[in-house]
Amino acid sequence: MISVQRLEKRYGGVTAVDGVSFDVGAGEVFGLVGPNGAGKTSTLKMLCGLVEPSAGDITVNGFDAGDTAMRRTLGFLPEESPLYDEMTPRSYLRFFADLYDVDRATANERIEAALDRLDLDARDRPVGDFSKGMTRKVAIARSLVNDPDVLVYDEPASGLDPLTTNTVIEFTRELAADGKTIVFSAHDLHHVESVCDRVAIMRDGQFAATGTLADIRDEHGEVSYRVFTDVDVDDARPSNGRYVTTVDSMADVDAIRAAAADAGGGVVDIRTDESTLEDVFLDVTGA
Amino acid sequence: MKAGNVLRIARWETTRSATSLDRETAIAFVVVAVALAAIVPAVVTTGPTPGEGIYRIGVDDDSPYADVAASDPQLAAVQPGSDADVTVSPVGIQYADTAKGRAALSTLRSATVAYNDAVMADEPDQAAAFPVVVSLTYRPQSIDVTSAQADTDGAGSSTTGGDGGRTDTPSTDDGATGTSPTAGASGGGLSGLLGQAQSGTPSSISPPFPLQSLVFAFAFLLPLNIVIQAYGSSVLAERIDRRGEPLLVAPVSRGDIVAGKTLPYFAGAIALVSVIAAATGAGVLAVLAVAPLAALFLAATFLGAMFARSYKELTFVTVAVSVALTTYAFVPAVFAEVNQIAAISPLTVVVDSITDSGVSTGQFVLSTAPPGLAAFVLFGLGTGVYREEDMFTQLPIPSKLLDALAAPLATPRRAGVWTALFLPFVLVAELFAVALLFVAPVSLSIPVLLGAIAVIEEVAKSIHVFAAFERGQYRRSFRTALAVGAASGVGFFVAEKALLVTQLVGLPGLDIGRAAFAPALRGASPGLLLVAPLVWHVVTAAISAVGAARSRLAYVGALAAAIGVHLAYNIAVVVIALG
Repeated sequence: MISVQRLEKRYGGVTAVDGVSFDVGAGEVFGLVGPNGAGKTSTLKMLCGLVEPSAGDITVNGFDAGDTAMRRTLGFLPEESPLYDEMTPRSYLRFFADLYDVDRATANERIEAALDRLDLDARDRPVGDFSKGMTRKVAIARSLVNDPDVLVYDEPASGLDPLTTNTVIEFTRELAADGKTIVFSAHDLHHVESVCDRVAIMRDGQFAATGTLADIRDEHGEVSYRVFTDVDVDDARPSNGRYVTTVDSMADVDAIRAAAADAGGGVVDIRTDESTLEDVFLDVTGA
Repeated sequence: MKAGNVLRIARWETTRSATSLDRETAIAFVVVAVALAAIVPAVVTTGPTPGEGIYRIGVDDDSPYADVAASDPQLAAVQPGSDADVTVSPVGIQYADTAKGRAALSTLRSATVAYNDAVMADEPDQAAAFPVVVSLTYRPQSIDVTSAQADTDGAGSSTTGGDGGRTDTPSTDDGATGTSPTAGASGGGLSGLLGQAQSGTPSSISPPFPLQSLVFAFAFLLPLNIVIQAYGSSVLAERIDRRGEPLLVAPVSRGDIVAGKTLPYFAGAIALVSVIAAATGAGVLAVLAVAPLAALFLAATFLGAMFARSYKELTFVTVAVSVALTTYAFVPAVFAEVNQIAAISPLTVVVDSITDSGVSTGQFVLSTAPPGLAAFVLFGLGTGVYREEDMFTQLPIPSKLLDALAAPLATPRRAGVWTALFLPFVLVAELFAVALLFVAPVSLSIPVLLGAIAVIEEVAKSIHVFAAFERGQYRRSFRTALAVGAASGVGFFVAEKALLVTQLVGLPGLDIGRAAFAPALRGASPGLLLVAPLVWHVVTAAISAVGAARSRLAYVGALAAAIGVHLAYNIAVVVIALG
């Protein structure tokens, strides 16, 4: 569905994106995470054809990025979503539906459905009176007026209150369940974890890690084991009448098991401690 | 660009703009429109009399001049001895030796002639009233009317000195039949490059200004100044907070967006101008003449709004556009029916259309082609930066200008193409300079004009080249600089042949016009004179390009040197041209 090869973007002497390659399959949700200035937004904008790459190739649905035919199959939600203040949600969304050649009846149907799902009732008030969350919902609805196959969402829940954030994330998850292909960037790793099938962690314009969350944890995370025994073994420390030893491999666990048996006891419990996504993120990005 | 997309965006832009208009503003617009619609026809019907009663004539009630004063709206009869500009007494006519006093006397004379003619026309025996019939045929002259001297008195008058004034003794039988200040003038001509004063200025004309033309000119310019305010705000609104970003992702081109956003304002301006044209009796030709000017107002505002970082900066932009373009259109139009310099302005076509004076094809082309082409290029430059990477950045205006100029210059050859595209600006700027300097003495106007032309043309040949080097479009090397400079010089040489359009209305017949356009026209001659301008343009463009390739400071120095070479060439050519 989406293919990005050796993508580069330079602004003057600054390289924002440096040789990034990735593929996103149909119906997949792909997340981009990374600190500010890592190159996430530049990558997404090149994907939409909004910014011209300095080098590399992008194809979306078989079309080059920026191609008019490609734009018809894509919905974009930028990080900020200022609208035309004097327009109402309905008139604003009809305007964009018109640009995408969506007939009036279909447009009305899609607009009402999207606003229903996003729980936005104020549909005939000027959006200039809206809160940030309501504005965001209108912007999300705009990204759907052409019923796109591909959605590119840049920080969809940025700056929203927890309730609205939950609504937006849930809605994104529903879109994924509907079979939309989504490329999604976020600062909040919980959002990425709850929505994305695969993730790329960006640092200095490059992918520092990519894959499923499990793959990334395996590759970049740390796993440790706390082994509880009923007898004292080497390096063990007392803990509530038992003895606990922390090791980082199953071989060490087996060694402790053998040592405890030699001492006339045994292993009574083993607990696994894995790195969180935040731990991996901080480790990979060097933050 | 697709018409369907343009119309869609235009329709929604209209809806959006209409929605954003609050009730008070809408009422204000309606009031202004109604007032304009009411005032302009009234002015046309009754004739503009902004000078009503401006000349005070001291005259007794029983004097025959009292009826004369009453017959002319510019004259107001007052009792002798009060603060009158002209006093009619049994011993003669006294007037203050001031510009106003002389103008009052001139107006009194004209009014007396008109009054006497009217009285005679009412006579039942016309043969007795007009025993001699004189047929006057006015023939156009290529030379200008010379400035009227204050002591160019009427026939049969004598001048005696007096404290602070002059005394004319009019022939009381036929009123003041002296020579009109505009009549009987002898052509002065120029004795040389720095000769006598320029002639045919408004002060030598009676009445001093064609007031009707001024009123009409303002009436046609007013809507354009109003429309650009709304248009500039709409363009800037797309850039504030990245509001226009989603539009850039929609399946429409940048050209569609710009054309769609502009169309409602252009159509609105033309609609308003059409209403005024209908009210003033101007024809379709007047509307067609104003259309390129309206486009130029919008194009300059569009580019300014693409560069402005805030509404505060946009205010400066729109004020600058208003002042510059209003001056460009208005100043030459003041000379409508007086001097061919007026042909520069589209408003002259409007005035000529209203007065049924006839408009030649050459005049129409000269007045409309430069603003039309300039608008086209400005829209092109603005559309070039109507993209995510440029329109949302908060760079200073000069930096954005350099971005816009550098963006199209992918190859050295493009430098020549864009130099050629800048020609409308060169033409507009040079015509503007001619119009502004037209009223100045030749001893001042021609040297200043030659300097201005050198600056305008050298900047036009090099500013985009400098921008391209600054933005890294070209490699900073001597060889590249020479190639780019040569391309720019050739581009200018080819394009400047368009200046031949000035010949269509005889602008080079004016001394100042000849000074401005003679070098280009000489370039049209065969042989050496054809090659010389080409070499000269290439050399000066290359000098600037070499400087631009080194550094900003070096560019300034090289540009100054190129201007110096250009000025020397121009002076040499003009000395030849003016003999």
